[in-house]
Amino acid sequence: MPRKVKYGVDFDIDEEDDDDVWTDYSDNESNVEVEEIENTFKADDCTKADDCTKAGIWRCSICTFDNDEGIVACDICGVFRHPMVNIHSNGNKEAAVPNKFNACPSDDFVSSSNHFSKVTLKDNFEELSSSEVVRNKEKLNVKPKTSELESSFVQLEKDEQLSICENTRSSAVEAKSENMMCSLDKQSVGADSKCSTNQIKAEIATRRSQYRPEKWMNGNQEGTLMQLNLAIVGHVDSGKSTLSGRLLNLLGRISEKEMRKFEKEAKLKGKGSFAYAWALDESAEERERGITMTVAVAYFSSKKYHVVVLDSPGHRDFVPNMINGANQADAAILVIDASVGAFEAGMDGSRGQTREHAQLIRSFGVDQVIVAINKIDVVEYSKERFDSIKGQLGAFLRGCGFKDSFLTWVPISAMENQNLVTAASDVRLSSWYKGPFLLDAVDSLQPPIRDVSKPLIMPICDVIKSRSVGQVAANGKVEAGALRCGLKVLVMPSGDSATVRSLERDSQPCDIAKAGDNVVVCLQGIDVSHVMAGGVLCHPDFPVAVATHLELKVLMLDVAAPVLVGSQMEFHIHHSQEAATVVRILSLLDSKTGKVSKKAPRCLTAKQSALIEVMLDGAVCVEEFANCRALGRVFLRAYGKTAAVGIVTRVL
Amino acid sequence: MKIVWKRYDKNGPGSVKMIPEETDDLWIAYNLVSRGDIVMAVTVRKVLREGASGGRDAERVKLKLEIKIESVDYDKEGSVLRLRGKNILQNEHVKIGQFHTLEIERHRPFVLRKDVWDSLAVDALQQAANPAASADLAVAVMQEGLAHIFLVGKSVTTTRSRIEASIPRKHGPGIAGYESALNKFFENVLQAFLKHVDFNVVRCAVIASPGFTKDQFHKYLLLEAERRQLRPIIENKSRILLVHTTSGYKHNLREVLDAPTVMNLIKDTKAAQEVRALKEFFDMLSNEPDRACYGPRHVEVAHERMAIQTLLITDDLFRNADIPTRKKYVDLVSSVKDLGGIALIFSSMHVSGEQLTQLTGIAAILRFPLPELEDIEM
Ligand SMILES: Nc1nc2c(ncn2[C@@H]2O[C@H](COP(=O)(O)OP(=O)(O)OP(=O)(O)O)[C@@H](O)[C@H]2O)c(=O)[nH]1
Ligand SMILES: [Mg+2]
Repeated sequence: MPRKVKYGVDFDIDEEDDDDVWTDYSDNESNVEVEEIENTFKADDCTKADDCTKAGIWRCSICTFDNDEGIVACDICGVFRHPMVNIHSNGNKEAAVPNKFNACPSDDFVSSSNHFSKVTLKDNFEELSSSEVVRNKEKLNVKPKTSELESSFVQLEKDEQLSICENTRSSAVEAKSENMMCSLDKQSVGADSKCSTNQIKAEIATRRSQYRPEKWMNGNQEGTLMQLNLAIVGHVDSGKSTLSGRLLNLLGRISEKEMRKFEKEAKLKGKGSFAYAWALDESAEERERGITMTVAVAYFSSKKYHVVVLDSPGHRDFVPNMINGANQADAAILVIDASVGAFEAGMDGSRGQTREHAQLIRSFGVDQVIVAINKIDVVEYSKERFDSIKGQLGAFLRGCGFKDSFLTWVPISAMENQNLVTAASDVRLSSWYKGPFLLDAVDSLQPPIRDVSKPLIMPICDVIKSRSVGQVAANGKVEAGALRCGLKVLVMPSGDSATVRSLERDSQPCDIAKAGDNVVVCLQGIDVSHVMAGGVLCHPDFPVAVATHLELKVLMLDVAAPVLVGSQMEFHIHHSQEAATVVRILSLLDSKTGKVSKKAPRCLTAKQSALIEVMLDGAVCVEEFANCRALGRVFLRAYGKTAAVGIVTRVL
Repeated sequence: MKIVWKRYDKNGPGSVKMIPEETDDLWIAYNLVSRGDIVMAVTVRKVLREGASGGRDAERVKLKLEIKIESVDYDKEGSVLRLRGKNILQNEHVKIGQFHTLEIERHRPFVLRKDVWDSLAVDALQQAANPAASADLAVAVMQEGLAHIFLVGKSVTTTRSRIEASIPRKHGPGIAGYESALNKFFENVLQAFLKHVDFNVVRCAVIASPGFTKDQFHKYLLLEAERRQLRPIIENKSRILLVHTTSGYKHNLREVLDAPTVMNLIKDTKAAQEVRALKEFFDMLSNEPDRACYGPRHVEVAHERMAIQTLLITDDLFRNADIPTRKKYVDLVSSVKDLGGIALIFSSMHVSGEQLTQLTGIAAILRFPLPELEDIEM
């Protein structure tokens, strides 16, 4: 476990002059390695595209857009059509929608990236300094508990206090207990090394508690809205991407021209109904099958927030991608397909993702959810259907630990544009629904709590190596602390340091990024291969742990197969994923009190909560939940289902 | 394994001459040979000679040695078995009692002499000689950015290659990067596939993944095979199967072996039996937890009550045991069989065996519920 720890430098000196720190931090101007993107593949495609002409259309040689017969110049880029292209008379009729899994994709498809037009909303709003925004968490916990599941979720959250105590314990004591628990087979390494890691741990913990943020970190950012990371989740085909595409279009992020292009392309592929979804389903494979595979990120602004849309895949096979890409969510829209049979399929115990997604976002730490009951047009805007879904789903969500007061129920039709950014225009809906429309509901979400005053932590969700950016850039949500240009950061797990060259929020350069912001951080002075998704950018004095052996407190979900010692599972934490083996089941915990109810049980079954130890195949960046929630939440999956969710109680 | 001749009494002394043919057979031999046995084989040993000039020359001579085994070591990578022990055959170069290490490799005959050929050893020998028990499957388990290529043999699964790539997200400016990274990844998997999958040896090759990765890779493989005229792929197109798994890690091999299309092909093999039995065990544990148990203590209690329907036990337990412990397990296996139950000995070199090893190495599915086990310490 390589760790770079800097001793002696206290970070909490009151800095009268920011510039001192500044110079201290930007003295390292090393060479930047630039990785070039390979253009060969794209070029290849272009030539391929040129060769084949589909009946009734011609493909632009420049932008590869498929234009109608009658048009002389390309609709998109204005380039004139090649004079030699054959002209066929019959148009291409929309083909039957192929079965998603057996669809035979044609290979001449060229995806074109779309550029959302930039809209700068200069709405007036109250600038909320993040440190002031504190919702009273305690209050949440006092409320009467409705079910076992709920209380155990709350229990997971409450764990913080307990673990903090553990941290401040003297290292000697900790080392001792550690040794006692050490079984014979994994000894030998000796107590010394254990002891010293504990010392380091304790030291970091104390320093962490003494950490004082610098002045610049709390400064107000004039003219910028607070970012809200909003996950769009729900069962497959419920209309998440269509809804996201619609919102982007209605809020001016996708121009009419682009929209027309999507419509045309989608139609040609026999997927006319997916036009709006194409704005988010950008890869060829996704468009071909009409299914989202990985989380798409897009931005729009509401009155109150700069919303980061995380359009998640709903298909059961892509739940790992959903966890990977959407766990930074502050709030969520749970999209439900209201049509008969579809809602029921989503709620199916072992196969429905409405349930699984709901449980997952709860364990992402999301407590505010907008339930968008979509495709209400299909059921004739029926109030009965809406109420019946609300009744059934409401009971389930309460069981997951969501509070009624944090749930908003909005009937919508993404297709018919009903109740999205304005009140419904169809009387069949407006006659009975008097609540907020969807965008209104987004604006009514409470601002999330941000850890601005803690040392920097930014889990890396994606790494961008491209010429246009100039060097390696890491994308992710700042979970704690803040970033600014010139700042020196530590890149884990490699332990290398790098300097922030520039910051981008929604493709716009910015000076400072604070906890909660989803940003692209361009780094310099680091080997490109040392920056990887699943890594973490952190404060040089507070490196996060890199470990393979963890103690977890988990809650088994209701459809889980039993977990035994030796069970092999997939382990997810922030943006990394590893194979894991359960090496010990320490104790069963009472789901109400959190006390140990049985020591060393022979297996764990559905709905139980327990303390376990896991061993990972490869090391991950991790922190105890008490230190950093984002790096301490874990998800265990097996046989294609989420078996358990939990938190890290100890890094071993 | 080729058995040249065998002369032994069941549960009595005797010898068998055999020739390991596949790497798999070395694993079987590894499980067969235990401390105290006597092995005779031809070996090469360096001996010192007085040279004509008066100096001493080292010379390698081929000789036949018979040694009493003190330790057995299996080298998975090099596929050799190293048997160390004292020489018991008088010889002009090696004195009696001198230590020697015999290296057993493929195609090298040896004679194994045991004081007791217990039922387990006899079974293992029979199984080794049965070619139908061999799975011989090549499996590529993958997900976007991660792939493993495995060869599943009679009793050993080997990881031949692991390919990892970081694939950027598909969205925004990274879309071109995404597709080229994905293609590069597929190319690497293709190279590994060509290198490690020999269609003369395997019955079929499986491409397995969640989502569409398997279909995408399959398409890539066939297209590239046409383009580059890769004969082995083109000629064996029909022997490539696609199987759905829930992720791309090694442990998902269990889903591959359990998939109906693959199961059909390999249903008589050891690997398949193991997968099925372990699955049954887990199913029982979730549906009727009182009818499944694991750990030596619990299994013993269950056996005392004559409750064991299927016994699952890894070869690890026999191999690493001292003689009385081994005898205890051998007796357990035969007495479960005598009572009409099934006893399955898992190879710890297969995925299911690996998992059973983690689970203490011994488990049982019971005929009737034993709720009292819950209260007995494991
Ligand atoms: N009638 C009707 N159809 C809709 C509505 N919203 C979406 N659809 C249709 O539902 C289908 C699926 O839409 P998507 O947006 O791809 O669904 P998704 O939830 O993103 O699907 P995945 O990402 O694959 O989980 C498309 O054919 C849409 O046209 C709606 O409000 N009314
Ligand atoms: Mg979608």
